Amino acid sequence: MPYDAPGHADELSDELRERWNETIARAYAAQNDALKKRFFSLDPDVLRDPRPTDAIKWPGDPGKPAFCVGEENAQALSDWGLTGRRAVQLEYCEYMVLSGRDETGALRPKRVEITTEFREYWACIAMHDPDKVRAMAADVLGAEPSWEELYGVADPHALSAEAREIAFGHTVAGHGNDRRLRVAGVPAQPTGRLNMERALFMTHPINGIDDLIYVAIFGAHAYCVAERDQRRQASGDDVFSAFKVTHLACNHADPTISLGVYDLVYHGARVAFSNPLGMYIRRPNLEVFSLDGAPLPDDWVRFSRGREGSYQRLVFGPPDDHRAFLDDITLSLGASEQPLHGGYQLLRELEIGPLMQSADADPIEDDEWELLEPAPGTIACDDAESCKPVRELLTRYEAEHAGRKAPRTMPEPAP
Amino acid sequence: MPAPLQEGIYHAPGRRPGRHFALLFLRVVAPADAAAVAAALGDLWAMLQDLKAGRMRDLEGVALPADEDAMTVLLGFGRNAFELDGVAGERPRGLADEYLFRSADPAGGGPLLRGSGLRYAADVRANMATEAFCVQVIAESKVAVDRAVVETWKALTDHGPRVLELTTFYLGNQRNDRRSWIDFHDGLSNLRSEDRESVIAIGPGTDAAWAVGGTYLAFLRLSIDLAGWRRLTRADQELAVGRDKLSGCPIVAVDGGVPRTDPGCPVAGTQIFQSANDVAFAEPPEASDPAVRASHVQRANHHIRPASDSGSRRIFRQGYEFLEWAPEPPGFRAGLNFVSFQDTPARLLKMLTAGGWLGGANFGGDEEANTELASLLSVFAAGVYVVPPVVEGEPFPGAAALGVAAIRPPEPVLVTGSVPAASG
Repeated sequence: MPYDAPGHADELSDELRERWNETIARAYAAQNDALKKRFFSLDPDVLRDPRPTDAIKWPGDPGKPAFCVGEENAQALSDWGLTGRRAVQLEYCEYMVLSGRDETGALRPKRVEITTEFREYWACIAMHDPDKVRAMAADVLGAEPSWEELYGVADPHALSAEAREIAFGHTVAGHGNDRRLRVAGVPAQPTGRLNMERALFMTHPINGIDDLIYVAIFGAHAYCVAERDQRRQASGDDVFSAFKVTHLACNHADPTISLGVYDLVYHGARVAFSNPLGMYIRRPNLEVFSLDGAPLPDDWVRFSRGREGSYQRLVFGPPDDHRAFLDDITLSLGASEQPLHGGYQLLRELEIGPLMQSADADPIEDDEWELLEPAPGTIACDDAESCKPVRELLTRYEAEHAGRKAPRTMPEPAP
Repeated sequence: MPAPLQEGIYHAPGRRPGRHFALLFLRVVAPADAAAVAAALGDLWAMLQDLKAGRMRDLEGVALPADEDAMTVLLGFGRNAFELDGVAGERPRGLADEYLFRSADPAGGGPLLRGSGLRYAADVRANMATEAFCVQVIAESKVAVDRAVVETWKALTDHGPRVLELTTFYLGNQRNDRRSWIDFHDGLSNLRSEDRESVIAIGPGTDAAWAVGGTYLAFLRLSIDLAGWRRLTRADQELAVGRDKLSGCPIVAVDGGVPRTDPGCPVAGTQIFQSANDVAFAEPPEASDPAVRASHVQRANHHIRPASDSGSRRIFRQGYEFLEWAPEPPGFRAGLNFVSFQDTPARLLKMLTAGGWLGGANFGGDEEANTELASLLSVFAAGVYVVPPVVEGEPFPGAAALGVAAIRPPEPVLVTGSVPAASG
């Protein structure tokens, strides 16, 4: 397996590289064998004359809440500090808004930290090379964290690799739905401040490589629908309805990955992730942002954790020593000029996605086609059942913000 | 089941729009309120329906060649419609400021959108496409759309109190060679037919309830700097568009500065716009060469699935060329009435402003090396309108939004015993 560090952000030793590739392989191996067809290869090197595709990307803002409670409420929920991050930031992109006090003492948003880094990668490094993970964290956070902040212990070197993974999971990474970690008592979300007050890397279990691989291989099938004695390409409604996974249709990331892969497969290709496997932020058009009518200073838009075209981190907003705040930035959308209040507005201007590639494959044989029933109708993404958690979250939000001028005010950090 | 789209959106497989086009803009005369406007629109709509059927108010008993004209009429509501006193419908989400085009600068010109390379023409000081209502008329004959303009004026004039006035209109036509004024084929890579409705129609839960099943019309009146365009070499033109100038086949690579197409394109014995090419060649394949990726067709379509997600930025286009006299050389203005339909204007606005898409570009291609491309298109008018769905019993689409209740047709009378009893 050939994968380097995501975004080529870190130099990995041969051993660490091997461990990272084992992590990816485990995530693939855990998938149902019935989903694995020859149209997807975990190893990109087996593709002959591969062609990169830029078609598998999506807006970073959470899609489902907008279906359920409208865009304005979706923005409020998404910008609701750690609660919002953990509840609705499910598009392989998480952020935190750092705030500060202005000259009047008012709490105002200062910067947005956006990360698309997989927790599995950080957990892998933390498990096998504590010094390296501390250096990575120092680079991201701007100051070297203590061992306690990373592992909850004074000396992680004294722990076994497995114990380090558990300790790091408790403090910084959460369990990521990994059964071993759950059994060991690691909570779903971390309890340490490093990745609660800041966005060090993604922690929501749904934003993991296992889910990414699942939706990719789910799409890598020769699905079709018979219509008037002819074979036609299945629609998203057909595919997600046929397998009773209609929830996958109602965000940005899942349908884009599954149907993007499927589109390539249907047209005769075999698909793989490009090296390095990661989730990357496309460069937005910065012309839509301004400060007092002028372009933003260069150091207010800091991409990192990768190279051009494969960045995994964006810190957006003025540095601490500048008197301006995030909401001094104007976002020009259509005929509107609006202050930038939080991460949701910014995410709408970003596109997120893995880098993937495809190559011509042997023709699809008759017995490889998977005939689906046409969908009975359009999947309703605003139905009461699937929207229940979002609506309940909105109720909580409204209760907590009763009397305030929500959602435009700066959200308070949630417990 | 959502209410159906209005006519005039030719999205069904195999349907082609009529050859002639008019887009009329109607301003509300103060102090008319929603009720007064609804009465005027009801009268206007009835007149237009008569016209479609071949009846003209001033020529009682005379039959016009309605079949030959094949006229369709579509009514759109602009943002100003929702400022009227007494308006009943919630303003749809897509008419919020962030989904509308910017105004022209009072001194003339100015950006259409921040982040877009499209600008108003220097002599455009007011955008005439931002009225309360628009009416799109499409027909197979020129006289049918011209007649609709004149009859609209008559109807508004004859309608008792002066409530609506026709402020401007734009005419256009489709070329029978399927090309635009830059000589290239146009409209080839429109949406696959199976994707169209999901891109066009406003879905449940995504917008004001009354607008569900409707759509948004975006309009741009774009003039083309033909003199600048003709200064470019054929290769530069092809790399700007992303297609071969003669065959219309997509450019797939650049070889020593020479644009290359797929050697199998078009299918032998066909032209690019014929259905044999639909699947393989009409939609340009994804390209990896940066020079090809910079072309207009590649910037406008990143091949993202599903098209139903607004993040795909797919839109359904219906364009109509125009030609009009102009005082400056070459003595005429040639251009495109760009019309698109989509479930949210965000699709188009993001396409025009996002990095890697048309953001920062005027048309596409290498605009730094070929400066003509950076000012190829100029905007003369731009607007966004919600197109309400057709609701049975309404005197005109969207009447309920103006407070007019739909008149339901009588329920069918069931004869006792005619309905079979349910079994089991």
